[in-house]
Amino acid sequence: MVKFLKLYEKIGIFILIVAASIFLAIVSPNFRNMDTILSIIMQGSYGAIIAFGMTFAITSGGFDLSVEAVMGLTSVIIAMLIPSLGFAGSIIIAVLASCFVGFLNGILITKVGISPLITTLSMQVILRGASLIITNGRQVVISQKSFMSIGASKAFGFLPMPIIYMAVLFAIFYIILNQTTFGRHVAASGSNEQAAKMSGLNISLIKTVVYILVAFSASIVGVIRTSQTLIGIPTMAPGFTLNVLTIAILGGTSLAGGRGNLIGTLFAGIFISMIYYGLNLLNVQIFYQMLAVGITLLFALFIDGLRMKYLETAKIKGIRV
Amino acid sequence: MDDIKIVLTPKQKAGSWLGSFGLIAILLIIFGFFSLTLRGTYFNWGNIKNMVSFSSYVGIGAIGMTFCIMTGNFDISIGSMLALAGVLGASAALKLGGIVGVIVTIVVAALLGLLNGLFVTKLKIPAFITTLGMLFIFRALAYIYTNNNPQYITDRFWIFLGNGSFLGLPFPIFIMGLCYLIAFFMLRKAPFGRYILAVGTNSRAASLSGINVENVKILVFTLIGVFVGVSAVLNGSMLGAANPGMMGDGYEFQVITAVVLGGTALAGGSGSLGGTLLAALIVVFLKTGMSNAQVNSYWQQVATGVVLIVAVSLNKLKFWLLGQAQ
Repeated sequence: MVKFLKLYEKIGIFILIVAASIFLAIVSPNFRNMDTILSIIMQGSYGAIIAFGMTFAITSGGFDLSVEAVMGLTSVIIAMLIPSLGFAGSIIIAVLASCFVGFLNGILITKVGISPLITTLSMQVILRGASLIITNGRQVVISQKSFMSIGASKAFGFLPMPIIYMAVLFAIFYIILNQTTFGRHVAASGSNEQAAKMSGLNISLIKTVVYILVAFSASIVGVIRTSQTLIGIPTMAPGFTLNVLTIAILGGTSLAGGRGNLIGTLFAGIFISMIYYGLNLLNVQIFYQMLAVGITLLFALFIDGLRMKYLETAKIKGIRV
Repeated sequence: MDDIKIVLTPKQKAGSWLGSFGLIAILLIIFGFFSLTLRGTYFNWGNIKNMVSFSSYVGIGAIGMTFCIMTGNFDISIGSMLALAGVLGASAALKLGGIVGVIVTIVVAALLGLLNGLFVTKLKIPAFITTLGMLFIFRALAYIYTNNNPQYITDRFWIFLGNGSFLGLPFPIFIMGLCYLIAFFMLRKAPFGRYILAVGTNSRAASLSGINVENVKILVFTLIGVFVGVSAVLNGSMLGAANPGMMGDGYEFQVITAVVLGGTALAGGSGSLGGTLLAALIVVFLKTGMSNAQVNSYWQQVATGVVLIVAVSLNKLKFWLLGQAQ
């Protein structure tokens, strides 16, 4: 069983994807062409990008429930500033503001010592309120059409830009987590904070940077989504945080902390998008998507719970894992 | 502890003062402030009665959450639980009458709480994430069951529970009082209360001393369901309908705020029902005051978030002053 679960951690998500692909290929003729597949990957990229950041947060032993509100904040700031600053300037300010939110989260969690749950839950409520105040509750239409090129154009005539952003961010996050000292420190502080502290790591700094990274990734998706719709939406993506958490956990990143699996996260993002595509084929209402994501999360948790349980027994029995 | 005379340092005195009188002081300050600025519209007997009656919505749900946080867990699915139990109860009431509807609401909520408890204990997954998943599942089921149509509550008995009055006071006040009496008895006079504290303080020690930790947790999550069910009955009655989308929206946030503001430590192991009740009153007094003063609702939203962070920080300060921090 331990072997199976170890194996699942590595390739489980691929099995799910292959199964889902075969299923979709049988039931939907459309699935068998390139455009559909690319569009599914693009739809999955939004969740996946934020889940890269979330993977860091979970690896460090925390998590962030404020990501959907960060998206809304980014969207609103861009929409309000774009007439005066142009799109480059407004994007930079929006992303910086989001990083500052991440910094605040980090400070509240590490310095004030409030749990990640309470900090980020409150932050979500505060940011939603703040975004609504900025636009006075309205959605703001962006008149600069050129801004659309950021999220809605296609590279080489066929590859949607969000996929490219996802690939680039994946490479960056992957290198940070797996090839740098900082990445090792993140894993160390998640797997045993006390030990990491005693070995001289600056836990507060590490965790604060992690929360900045989460907010940064959420902000990028906020930019992409805003560019696609050309509307600044203060209440953007309600409930999206659950998608992101589901993707990260389904991808094999354990809630116990200390082990991040970014490759799994990437493919879990695509898998969730496939579920949505399948549900759309069935023409069901949007509530069923909520239900599906919730159930998928519970399934992922079930596997994670089993894994932790068996790893614990394996440790007691002295099996090397 | 009570029979030993403890000499407190000034710091500890400040800490214990913050714990016991801080909340009453905050409540009086908020009440005084809005009474002075809004005068008659706020400071009148009818409004005070209404505010206390409204506080039953958060106050009753917060009882279960106090137990839960005392064991060191969270349940953030309660808003959706309220909605799902509410719509099922309301639709049962249409066919089978109000008494059945009320019973269905409470039983459904208790079963949903039991489900949460089973998931949390049997799979050993952190409660917040399990209940986050349930938050979406319950809400989705409420939508699917009603096809996004509100279920109207017309039964006279059910309407009376939330809107009637008894001895000149709104009926919800009596229900809330009864709930707190029962909860207080369970926490202070029955073994269950000691078990909760033991599990929250040190779950391993509790388990070694023969307490069935899993059963205590399952019971706690089920109790959350029961109290949320009672709250759903009153909420549905006051609104006259159970709306799958709006009912209980943001409820978990208000309830957790009340519990934390009431002085229950997030790490578990200590807590007070009196504090929770006072905090529920504070939340409602503040909210009503801001609404009466026509504060923009978006600012109110920001304020609720800030209040929670400040409440947790104050709690930290209290325990630091008392020297209980790690």
